[in-house]
Amino acid sequence: MSRTKLGLWSVAALLFLVAPLGLGAFWQFIAIEALVFALYAMSFNLLLGYGGMLSFGHAAYFGLGAYGVGILMAKLSAPFWLALLAAPVVAAVSAAAVGYFSVRLTGIYFAMLTFAFQMLFFTVALKATVLTGGDDGIVGLTRPGILVDPAVYYLFVLFITALAIGLLYRMVNAPFGQTLRAIRDNARRVQHLGVHTRAHCWLTFVIAGAFAGLAGGLFALSTGSVFPGWLDWTASATPIVMAVLGGLRVFAGPIAGAFVFVGLETVISGHTEYWPLFMGTIIIALVLLLPGGILGTRSGRVGH
Amino acid sequence: MESLLDQTWQNFTLFGNPTVVIRQTLSGISHGMLLFLISAGLSLIFGVTRILNFAHGGLFMLGAYVAMSVIGLVLGGLPGFVLSLIAGAALLLLVGGGLEILLLRRIYRSAHEFQLLLTFGLVFVIGDLVMIIWDREERSVAAPELLSGATRLIGVTFPTYRLFLILVGIAVAVALWVLLHRTRFGIWIRAATLDREMLGALGVNTRRLYTGVFALGAALAGFGGALAAPVLAVGPGLHVEVIIDAFVVVVIGGMGSIPGALVGSLLVGLVNAFGILAFPSLAVVLTFALMAVILIVRPWGLFGRPE
Repeated sequence: MSRTKLGLWSVAALLFLVAPLGLGAFWQFIAIEALVFALYAMSFNLLLGYGGMLSFGHAAYFGLGAYGVGILMAKLSAPFWLALLAAPVVAAVSAAAVGYFSVRLTGIYFAMLTFAFQMLFFTVALKATVLTGGDDGIVGLTRPGILVDPAVYYLFVLFITALAIGLLYRMVNAPFGQTLRAIRDNARRVQHLGVHTRAHCWLTFVIAGAFAGLAGGLFALSTGSVFPGWLDWTASATPIVMAVLGGLRVFAGPIAGAFVFVGLETVISGHTEYWPLFMGTIIIALVLLLPGGILGTRSGRVGH
Repeated sequence: MESLLDQTWQNFTLFGNPTVVIRQTLSGISHGMLLFLISAGLSLIFGVTRILNFAHGGLFMLGAYVAMSVIGLVLGGLPGFVLSLIAGAALLLLVGGGLEILLLRRIYRSAHEFQLLLTFGLVFVIGDLVMIIWDREERSVAAPELLSGATRLIGVTFPTYRLFLILVGIAVAVALWVLLHRTRFGIWIRAATLDREMLGALGVNTRRLYTGVFALGAALAGFGGALAAPVLAVGPGLHVEVIIDAFVVVVIGGMGSIPGALVGSLLVGLVNAFGILAFPSLAVVLTFALMAVILIVRPWGLFGRPE
């Protein structure tokens, strides 16, 4: 990491640490949302930006993590820590099952199969009313002790997402990440070098699922609720939009994308009921005018 | 738990009742024919342009709203109904052509994620524009008198309009077959589905072909929406629901294949009709399970060809 980059990251870290503490509870809540979605979009970009796998069902793991927390706390009265720990585990186990089949496919077929599994989870969440509350979702989740204070919970979420993102950074720069990028660029060649590419992609899918599940769990504890809409197909586009908006080919791209997207959504939907129209227009403009993303360059690639 | 098992057993005994079986079969086929109208266009567009058009549900929705306005504001009765079908198809033909020229032709060479995002963005633009032009109220559209009510057929009474849907579906399937096999435009479409570079190299104007295919697909969706208006609640959210069913159909039948879209539609229609009978709360789950299984064992679908 170069010195300027290190400086930028330090300034950003300081800003993240201090800025939201001066804001009101509403903006603290929004800041938590932005952090959580930054982690979620990062986990997605591990698949697309680094692995070249376009998952159109990533919301499944975010949602499963959230439901894991919701069901454990509301129906089984599990303690907060156990529920939060379970979120990435539940998501990873599900991702292992889905990934086992999905990584055999590539391109649009991979997208379609991850989509099909997500819709399976979504319909089950809708219909298994006893566990999930169906359409009404699960509400009334509470955080213990001092975490009730949004400012404290913000710092808690900041600590966990920073840890997770640091872990992701280590991962993509380790041989594991190098291999993943090589598979993205030329899978057959890597296979001939003796790498079990399918197993590598499978493991990546599970890891991405686990981080998405962690994000979902953190978000459920922020809103105090879980809704089936978090698992619906339109939700799967959110991490794609955030990652592309920030820049697929830059490590910190999805973080920037998540903050800009959450910021835009909060401001625009505060003024008009036509947020979807704005979002659609922004997405179309992004694809046509800024395909490299905010932080990206057209030709740049991760880590080159 | 026992009562649930009892209930399921009760449901299964319905399969021994011929009236129920005939009625569910007809209802599955008629639902399937509506699905065919949406998924045929989706499949044609994917086959030629390789773009999975998420906005197709929005085009269908637009067709339904246009038909509703024609019947409500312009002309009632049977002539109004016929006019609404023509208006739905004609307007969407123009919208589809316009969208292709303005937006879609810019992304044929882009990565999958950009293609997916562009049509995804369109979903919300179309959905909200419909809400702005009309409003957020849910409405029903009356079928013309000739087609409302019920008809007795092989021992069961069945809504006349649903029978009419089956006939129209068959007519559209035949018309598409003739178009694809007996006209130059259709032969180009099939050739482009197989190898578009080669078709271009042979001197066919593929730019115009792509516009034409997108317009045709959109017109089919608009026609389907207009036709479905009397059996649907025309309201917000229609576009995001409809597209999911169409995806399932196209994946099962094979992306790019019209016979596949027909078989996939009927299959999904029937699975739904009988699934509801056996496991009322799990019927939806069944269709997605079917989609996942097909993708696992035969990713190119029942009638598609491996790439």
